[in-house]
Amino acid sequence: MTLPRHVLVVDLGYGDAGKGTIVDWLCATRPVNAVIRFNGGAQAAHNVVTPDGRHHTFAQFGSGTLHGVPTHLSRFMMIDPPALAAEAEHLAALGVPAPFELLTVDRQALLTTPWHRAANRRREAARGDDRHGSCGMGVGETAAFALAHPDLAVRAGDTESPATLARKLCGIRDALTAELGPLDAPPVADVADAFRWFGTAVRLVSSARHVLEGPCVFEGAQGVLLDEWRGWHPYTTWSTTTFDNAETLLAENGGDDALRLGVVRTYTTRHGAGPLVTEDPQLTAALPERHNAHGPWQGAWRAGHFDAVAHRYAVEVCGGVDALAVTHTDAADRHDLKMCLAYEQLDRIVPGERGDLAYQEKLTQILAAATPVYTGFGSVGEALGAPVMVTSHGPAYPDKTQLLGPW
Amino acid sequence: MGSGRWSTDVYSAAAKYRAATGTSAFAHSDSGARAVHDALNPHGVTVRESRDSDQHPQATPIAILFDVTGSMGSVPRMLQTKLPELFGLLIRKGYCTDPQILFGAIGDATCDKAPLQIGQFESDNRMDDDLGRILLEGGGGGQRTESYELAMYFMARHTALDATARGRRGYLFIIGDEMAYRQVKPAEVRRFIGDTITEPISTEAILAELRRSYDVYFIMPAHAGHTGDPEILAYWRGLLGQHVIELDDLGAVCETIALTVGLGEDATDLDSGLTDLAEAGSSAGATVGKALAPLGSSRGALVRSALPAGFGGDRATPVTRL
Repeated sequence: MTLPRHVLVVDLGYGDAGKGTIVDWLCATRPVNAVIRFNGGAQAAHNVVTPDGRHHTFAQFGSGTLHGVPTHLSRFMMIDPPALAAEAEHLAALGVPAPFELLTVDRQALLTTPWHRAANRRREAARGDDRHGSCGMGVGETAAFALAHPDLAVRAGDTESPATLARKLCGIRDALTAELGPLDAPPVADVADAFRWFGTAVRLVSSARHVLEGPCVFEGAQGVLLDEWRGWHPYTTWSTTTFDNAETLLAENGGDDALRLGVVRTYTTRHGAGPLVTEDPQLTAALPERHNAHGPWQGAWRAGHFDAVAHRYAVEVCGGVDALAVTHTDAADRHDLKMCLAYEQLDRIVPGERGDLAYQEKLTQILAAATPVYTGFGSVGEALGAPVMVTSHGPAYPDKTQLLGPW
Repeated sequence: MGSGRWSTDVYSAAAKYRAATGTSAFAHSDSGARAVHDALNPHGVTVRESRDSDQHPQATPIAILFDVTGSMGSVPRMLQTKLPELFGLLIRKGYCTDPQILFGAIGDATCDKAPLQIGQFESDNRMDDDLGRILLEGGGGGQRTESYELAMYFMARHTALDATARGRRGYLFIIGDEMAYRQVKPAEVRRFIGDTITEPISTEAILAELRRSYDVYFIMPAHAGHTGDPEILAYWRGLLGQHVIELDDLGAVCETIALTVGLGEDATDLDSGLTDLAEAGSSAGATVGKALAPLGSSRGALVRSALPAGFGGDRATPVTRL
């Protein structure tokens, strides 16, 4: 068989499986033309640690940046220009000489504004105890607003036109203020100024074609179980977290072959509200997360045993995976981890019709009441029906073992 | 998954972007590179093109070439930080249609490694990329001459402008503080551009050729070492007449270029242009007004004049503006 040209990396759980560390490893061990981000926004938090101990939480830059690999932010991204500037500053402090030189941005990508962020927090606070587990970054708000007000949604290309930019920013402020009351955000002119600088510092492009000339790594954000259509509604994200967007980008640009790599941890985690059938407070306490703490907006960090039922559902709804990356294998060595291959009530979560949120909500209710049946920790590849390409037993790229190649 | 880790403060973000565009803009040079970036190497280039397209149906070519030797090394950095303003003025104020900007750098072919660097005509921020790739040599021969004539040769023979087919010309700004060599030398042309020419070409002759497709301006800023040097000013005045612009403050160079284009396109007069600058929040009005006063006050004469002094009978047709 011919070798796939690109690698698509998605998380088969609720996020935090270790996509960042796998993308970092891919970029360290083979030629990669660019890392392409194809979903989510500034709320991503992909932690990468270098062998010499430097650490960076990648949010909008691709996790291959410390190897000098450029990042392309595709049109499916929601970009937060101020947060991007702060992230670039940290990358510069870590020794990346000119972070913005490593960045191309699709002109169609949506921009998150301070009003989106303020509206997000206002709505989430109003939910009280029924929070959705939002990060409070306004990413979902940006997506929702763009659907409701397509003519006012700010896109990266608008920063090239000061008049359009100002008109849209005023429109966003007015629309959200009318709906929610006064929002805590700077004046439009100051936001426009920062956004124009963003448009100057990054290279705006009109397609992903230029980066797809060489092998690319597509870095997903969040996880399939948080998918806007496939996750446990309403504890989902406003983003398509499956391979769909990545494959759309590939199809638009010539349809190169790509390896579909699914990432899981040896245990299943969730940050924020929503079903986690295998949740185990003892495990949460035994396996604290160095870079994932209780978030003021997102809520608690939670850990549970390996939920093969949920991960199999993720594999199924994203159309299958060619290979798996299994992270935190060191935790499996040190702790008494178990596997859940079935729930007492069911052994398979049956996917509904795409777009049927009422069905997804029903799944949420079923899962909230489900009881896990445990076995000892066995083969992740067998549990999920796909070969394991790489295992990770530490944070840096040398802490990976490639089992299956030669990609 | 979520972070919220990076600051979303718009004020500090604007400052960070500003700082980043200032420091990273010349990453090629600042990283210690000592050779011309491939993208800017004129050797073997057939043409640099300014083309009309669906998106840009009436391209206005604007070439900006600057001396990067000695004290002039700060010009490209200044240009880079002011570029959004230049573009903003050109487009917002309608000074010209569909501006396409090319950047280039001029050194000394007798002693520099990179005496000529020429980017592409770009209408988006890819021109920033070109600017960022320019090698800032910082040397210079010290004999008050740079290889401006070699740059003129390239621009005359290796650029193609759709504007000329529409009866328009492009704008070529040379920003410098020294004189050109007397003639274009075949050995330098072969070495740095790759063409074979049998005879040297006088600087006057190549300039005449260049002016078929460009209005050529020489901007001499005050920060430069030889500002006010009567010999150098007289030299350029002899070649370009009123198209020599003395600029007290390098910081006003983008506004000066924008207004010069606006005047050249008959899209504004000097007074309205200075009002536009003030409205756009520029404090460069006084400097620009002083620099462009000769152009602004003698626009009529410029339109109808025969060739500027120093041209002899090289060109039969008077300079006409559309």
